[in-house]
Amino acid sequence: MSKEITAPVLEMQNVEKHFGGVHAIDNFSVKIEQGQIHGLIGPNGAGKTTIFNNITGIYAPDSGKILFLGKDITGSSPHKVAQLGIGRTFQNIRLFSNLSVMENVIIASGMDATYNMPQALLHTKKYTEREKHLQDKAMNLLEIVGLQDKAGERANSLPYGHQRKLEIARAMALEPKLLLLDEPAAGMNADESKELVEFVRQIRDRFDITILMIEHHMDVVTNLCDYCTVLNFGKTIAVGTPAEVKSDPEVIRAYLGGT
Amino acid sequence: MLLQQIITGISIGGIYALLATGYSLIYSLLDFSNWSHGEFAMIGAYVAIVFSNILGTPFLIAAVMGVIGGAAISFLSERFAYRRIRSNGAPNMFLMIAAMGLSNVFQQAANLIFTGQYRSYSFKLPVSTIKIGQAYIGVLDLISLGITAVILVVLIYLINKTKFGLDVRAIACNQKAARVLGIRVDQSIATVFLLAGSLAGTAGILYGMKYNVFPTMGNVGLKAFIASVIGGLGSVPGAIVGAVLLGVLETLVSAYISSSLRDFFSFALLIVLLLVKPSGLFGVDVQDKA
Repeated sequence: MSKEITAPVLEMQNVEKHFGGVHAIDNFSVKIEQGQIHGLIGPNGAGKTTIFNNITGIYAPDSGKILFLGKDITGSSPHKVAQLGIGRTFQNIRLFSNLSVMENVIIASGMDATYNMPQALLHTKKYTEREKHLQDKAMNLLEIVGLQDKAGERANSLPYGHQRKLEIARAMALEPKLLLLDEPAAGMNADESKELVEFVRQIRDRFDITILMIEHHMDVVTNLCDYCTVLNFGKTIAVGTPAEVKSDPEVIRAYLGGT
Repeated sequence: MLLQQIITGISIGGIYALLATGYSLIYSLLDFSNWSHGEFAMIGAYVAIVFSNILGTPFLIAAVMGVIGGAAISFLSERFAYRRIRSNGAPNMFLMIAAMGLSNVFQQAANLIFTGQYRSYSFKLPVSTIKIGQAYIGVLDLISLGITAVILVVLIYLINKTKFGLDVRAIACNQKAARVLGIRVDQSIATVFLLAGSLAGTAGILYGMKYNVFPTMGNVGLKAFIASVIGGLGSVPGAIVGAVLLGVLETLVSAYISSSLRDFFSFALLIVLLLVKPSGLFGVDVQDKA
């Protein structure tokens, strides 16, 4: 990490999003520096996934700004955001279930497929080389997530935990600088989520990426996140290290519903 | 005799397949049946008529222009009608209604411009037959069969072996995930419309060579639609198998039972199949789309 990079990887300034009369996100700001793992926590309906959708361009915010490495990406289309280097996973896994495990990963390497249709039809050298390159790269990622033996299987034949990992491998094929994980530990037991914590940390270290994650499991957040932001009904109610926010009275109130 | 009928049937089935694969591709991406698809074929056939009969170009050039015409009208329909409806977030029913509207407009326009007259290509079509064993097989049928076979092989190759095909299959499976993975979804959809339209244009010309060109010839799209449902909506190999089955069935019924009962048998096959296996022969599992 060089000193002269001053722009944070992700900066959101006063982002607002309404759906009808509902404030899905209300004046949301965040700054995430290179290499950090930042947690986004809060009860259901707090607006966490809406924030992901705003970043990835699924829909544009009503107001506010989103900067990625200092570049304004507010309202950019999803494929542009992806190509700039933001990868994401979904809360309810969205794999290409009818494609093979390998194809799921290759899909995201679109920018590397620089051959055109006639070249593909004629099986030119360029085409074969590129195809080989795409497959090698995908295999590499599958090895990292431990799915190299499953490359030829259909994605929906994998057990749940493997599907989560495949989704992360697929997002990593974009070679992202920022990875957005939407509840990666959802539906996992204590052992599995412990393994996931290790796995996410490894990915961060190995690829030197920055991670923003939505997570409900407090043990995962505590073990993994450098900082976190707590949301409730679209409003930010606390920002700080996991230890700080856990002892924040307003956070306790939001979670436990007490006074 | 039987061999002769079967080859004729496969040849007609091939024409259905050129259209049925278009229905399937578009359905798999956008979850709606493009009712104006048959009219893309009709327009392709008329463009070729204009070039060969009015402008007097060689038939090959007329045919290429016809294919381009089918591709162009398909692309423009997507660009100026379907895409707008999609980006408004309207339900898929709106796409289908728009397609029906387009189908009507295209048919009426053809009627206005060209009148309802049946036209045939001024190009001298091969009417000869060749004898294989006991059977006499039309050269036109064989040419048509050859052209469709090559096109369909190329299509299957594109879908299964190229990045474009992989993108299309991914979009069919989960459009939202495809978007955030950097796939240019709108561009892929536009390419599919171009491809489906050029196949429809080809089908229109081949159909026109066999049965003449007229404004309502696009109704052949209904047959292709049945074929794609038989094969399993959304499945390209299914559409091809369904189309060939339907073509052979129709020819056999015409030859051995009665040509007036041809459509009766086609629809009966469709109904029986829907009762026995609603997802079609190669049906995509409904849960896959969810």
